[in-house]
Amino acid sequence: MSGTSAVPETAASDAGLPGLPVASGRETVREVWRLSHGYRLRLAATGALGIVSTGVDLIVPGAIGFLVDRVQAGTADLATVLTVTVVMALSAVLGAAGTALTIVLATRVYHSILAALREQLVGHAMTLPQHLVERAGTGDLISRSSDDVTAVADAAPAVIPVLTVTAFTIVVSLGGLAALEWPYAAAFAVVLPVYVLAVRWYLRTGPGVYRAERTAMSARAQQILESQRGYATVLGFGLTEQRHRAVMTDSWRVAGQSLRARTVLSMLNARLNLGECLSLAAVLVVGFVLIDHNASTVGGATTAMLLVLRLLGPVNQLLLVIDTLQSALASLSRMIGVVTIPFSSSDVPSQAASTAVQLDEVSFRYGEGPRVLDDITLDIPSGQRVAVVGVSGAGKTTLAGVVTGTHLPEAGKVTRPSRTAMITQEVHVFAGTLRDNLTLAAPGATDRDLHAALEATGAASILDVLPDRLDTLLGVGGHPLTDAQAQQLALARLLLTDADLVILDEATADAGSTYAGQLDRAADAVLAGRTAVVVAHRLSQAATCDRIMVMAHGRIIETGTHGELVDAGGVYAGLWTAWEAAQ
Amino acid sequence: MRNSSRFSGADTAGLGRGPLTRRLPVLLLAPAEPLDARPFGSGPGITPGRFLLRVIFSVRRVSVPAMLLAIVWQVGESAVPVVMGLAIDRALATGDEGQLVLWLGVLVALYVALTSTARLSLRLTAYAVQVLQHRLRGTLSTGVLHSVGGTARAPDGSVVSVMTNDVARLSNAVILMIIPVSRITAIGFIAASLLATHWLLGLVVLFGAPVAVWSMGVLSERLSRDTREYQELLASTVGQATDLVAGYRVIKGVRAEAEATSRYRQASQETLVGARRNAGLLGRFLVGSGVVSGTFVAAVMGLAGWFAVDGQLSIGELITAVGLTQALLPQIQAIASTSIPNLAGARASSARVLDVLRDNATSTAEPDDATRREVTALPELDVVVPSISGPGVTIRVEPGELVGVRADDRTAARVVEALLDPRAEGGVEARLDGIAARELSPVEYRSRVTVAPHRATLFSGTLRDNVAVIAGAPERVDAAVRAAACDDFAADLDVPVGEGGNRLSGGQRQRVALARALASDAPVLVLHDPTTAVDSVTEHTIASRLRGVRAGRSTLLIASTPALLAACDRVVELPDDVPAPSRTAR
Repeated sequence: MSGTSAVPETAASDAGLPGLPVASGRETVREVWRLSHGYRLRLAATGALGIVSTGVDLIVPGAIGFLVDRVQAGTADLATVLTVTVVMALSAVLGAAGTALTIVLATRVYHSILAALREQLVGHAMTLPQHLVERAGTGDLISRSSDDVTAVADAAPAVIPVLTVTAFTIVVSLGGLAALEWPYAAAFAVVLPVYVLAVRWYLRTGPGVYRAERTAMSARAQQILESQRGYATVLGFGLTEQRHRAVMTDSWRVAGQSLRARTVLSMLNARLNLGECLSLAAVLVVGFVLIDHNASTVGGATTAMLLVLRLLGPVNQLLLVIDTLQSALASLSRMIGVVTIPFSSSDVPSQAASTAVQLDEVSFRYGEGPRVLDDITLDIPSGQRVAVVGVSGAGKTTLAGVVTGTHLPEAGKVTRPSRTAMITQEVHVFAGTLRDNLTLAAPGATDRDLHAALEATGAASILDVLPDRLDTLLGVGGHPLTDAQAQQLALARLLLTDADLVILDEATADAGSTYAGQLDRAADAVLAGRTAVVVAHRLSQAATCDRIMVMAHGRIIETGTHGELVDAGGVYAGLWTAWEAAQ
Repeated sequence: MRNSSRFSGADTAGLGRGPLTRRLPVLLLAPAEPLDARPFGSGPGITPGRFLLRVIFSVRRVSVPAMLLAIVWQVGESAVPVVMGLAIDRALATGDEGQLVLWLGVLVALYVALTSTARLSLRLTAYAVQVLQHRLRGTLSTGVLHSVGGTARAPDGSVVSVMTNDVARLSNAVILMIIPVSRITAIGFIAASLLATHWLLGLVVLFGAPVAVWSMGVLSERLSRDTREYQELLASTVGQATDLVAGYRVIKGVRAEAEATSRYRQASQETLVGARRNAGLLGRFLVGSGVVSGTFVAAVMGLAGWFAVDGQLSIGELITAVGLTQALLPQIQAIASTSIPNLAGARASSARVLDVLRDNATSTAEPDDATRREVTALPELDVVVPSISGPGVTIRVEPGELVGVRADDRTAARVVEALLDPRAEGGVEARLDGIAARELSPVEYRSRVTVAPHRATLFSGTLRDNVAVIAGAPERVDAAVRAAACDDFAADLDVPVGEGGNRLSGGQRQRVALARALASDAPVLVLHDPTTAVDSVTEHTIASRLRGVRAGRSTLLIASTPALLAACDRVVELPDDVPAPSRTAR
């Protein structure tokens, strides 16, 4: 899967579709809490460890302040220096070890919860009624199971130290300052508005700028991807110069957006510097006044200075990851939005114990569009093979979708067997071996079953051209298959299922090609002994069916056997004459 | 953004600036026009390391000033604890108000200097990175993806990730010339200041710092290698999710939901194992670097404390030494945890970029002027197809003719490949006006022959963008759209087709691709099975309109459908025993 990391972001809005729901803040918290079940004790212990470690880490500045005071008082000797040095080294090492352990533990829990969530996401997406997903568009689902999962995973190294250590460091350091002499902590608090303003400005500006950068990047990736996929077209049409310019224009657009984003970052940096400068100045002024009133020592001021210097790093870190944190949260709520989609039994198309199909005054339209199916009533007895014929746009594929339950009818009632299987015009070869591709529909199938299925669908010849036979990697980055081979594979897969009703809507081979005959024979093997609806893109497919229905403008206008319809001299007879003339 | 705002004081850069600052110009934002991206040379004999250096040093005019500014910035950062230490010593310890004001002034001046140099340096660095990315992308674009003399074999999908991820990683290497250099200078500054305080302290830092950097670097390199491994695992899990969702309808079609989910779970769990291992390595790095830096700093401070007890250092000098040592830490950590992995990543990406460039290297050598011969505007095309059993077949297309070719799939693919890339060693030879096409320059050949491959790939944009891909008269576009029987869905040509044309059905995509071929107005057009996804009635319509739209031009139509072949002037049958091509081993 070499190129998979470059799959561009696809926004649902791109296709003008409503998109999948996004979880609210409360739902997100509730779901994360539910997912954390089994980790809660560990999380609490991790938090405690984090607080203790940051506390230990703070012994260092205290020890130095102590040494300074002793030296100034002239009461220090070699033993004092040695003790202070050992204490500093020990606390630094222990603090580092504790902090590291905290981060490791927290990271592991984070990834465990993320893994559980992404598995639920894919699992739930697969079990959702298809029409719910189709309405939102699969592009949105792809983006949530790829971009959002990556965003949440990538945020871990930035977010976890902040949540476990940085926040504690700030709290504990401020506590240390207050314990030392409360005015030091108060001085730091005076500087707080500078930081508050900086964060407010950043949250107002940063996300938009970064979003624009990411959008430009995904547009650029899409351009490159299209040039790669359409390589032969680019070459054959002599479009190299034109495509190069398009890619370079998008590349430079990213440069512009990235520079804007870095500018925002450098502006934030400047604001943080201002905060730093003011904090340090405040320490000097407060220290000056305190010492003047004998309320603090020079050593105390040194400790305060070191504490503030230590505090600045985490504060900067915290502010710098706010944006990552925010976008990770946004991705999280998009993932949880899918997991929490409810569906009731009324969303699941009704199923019958019989192997027959019944449509009762069924109508359908896409969204607010015109009616694509209009008042269709249809009865397919068990074991019958029915062909649907008509010109492009007559509603054939939509009818097939309503029969399988891909689309819920707007009006009317559909009854079908529970075990159905369908081949659509969409050909997809999964990344994985040929065996993986076949056993997807029949996990228990043996190699013998697979060979038999390939044989029956005339696809055994594919095996001979594959270097590792059943173990050959196919799909993205694997051995390429022609459309006809992929379709034969799909038919073999269909044969392996236990479906009672089969719907065929394949349109890969044109009439008269060597493959058309092969695919027709393969389809024959798949349909044997099953109730079937065949969307006939080639009339040779229709002629062998028990019954033919001719569709026009979403209605069934003729129905009968091949012989009856040809004799009747209607629309089908006309299509048949044209078809025969072309052979 | 807020670019739409019309009044002159608007925050045009969209940086959320207040009314006072938004009128100031923003320096170093990218100009609107794409930069001219001269490609990098990648000839034989260049190692990844040398290529990396060539890339880094190609933007010296930006990176050297950025480096100088960064030095001021980093040394300034290191000077903060020194100034603070001096202030405590001179002002706080003495209670002298004048001194306090003086040192507060010094502190503010220091911050002004370091913040302004940081800002400029960061911007220059970002600019250098972006310019390099753009230029590297241009190099790969002309050399691999959009080479006019490219081979018929498409570069595989990895070119996409190389052109995005690896280009970014390689470009980041320019930062190595800026930030680490400035950090090392800052460490030098700290060592020198300590030397001035006490020679032994300076020496300890001079020798200790490189050892600390090196030992932490070793740990961080191991970590970042594992991180890349883990990221690949994550990418493959994400890729699997993408693949399953892309095949969503197929999975639903055969009710394989449970099986698909369990396969994904397995991949996800493998990634989780990788993530846990990576977290462990991160922990090891954190402990290791904590131990190294903690003991180092404690040792230096202890030494300084002893000198103070011994009377060799004043109390002010002790505080300064403590501050300086404190400033040492972030510098060491940053070099170890950022710069060293950056170098390792850049080297690996440099190798990958070079590999892709070399794998797809095409000879762009132009033919000798001496042997150069002219090809007419509408040349006569010959395609010589060899045969094992007989003398082979020559397909001749006279100017203005519409010739059909019937062949088995494999032979058809070979003929198309030879026409797509006449320099390929496939055994099939194309000639224009009797001149072997391989001897023509790619530009000249493509100006005469346009090949529409069987697989109909559309580009994002509108229908018109796709059909009128080669700028032509609007009436040609309309005629082509009609001839390809797109009238039923293409009444409005300004409708977007979606990514890769995914808003259209397979049959519609194929017809748009055919319209694109017909609108190109090419002197010689090669069509390969252009109507396989189109129903027979529509196919008839297309067949009847084909001749009219190609009148006065030559067309070679490779197809198996009788309806299309019936519309041709004549049909050539190809034998299916074309000898296998003697490909040079890859």
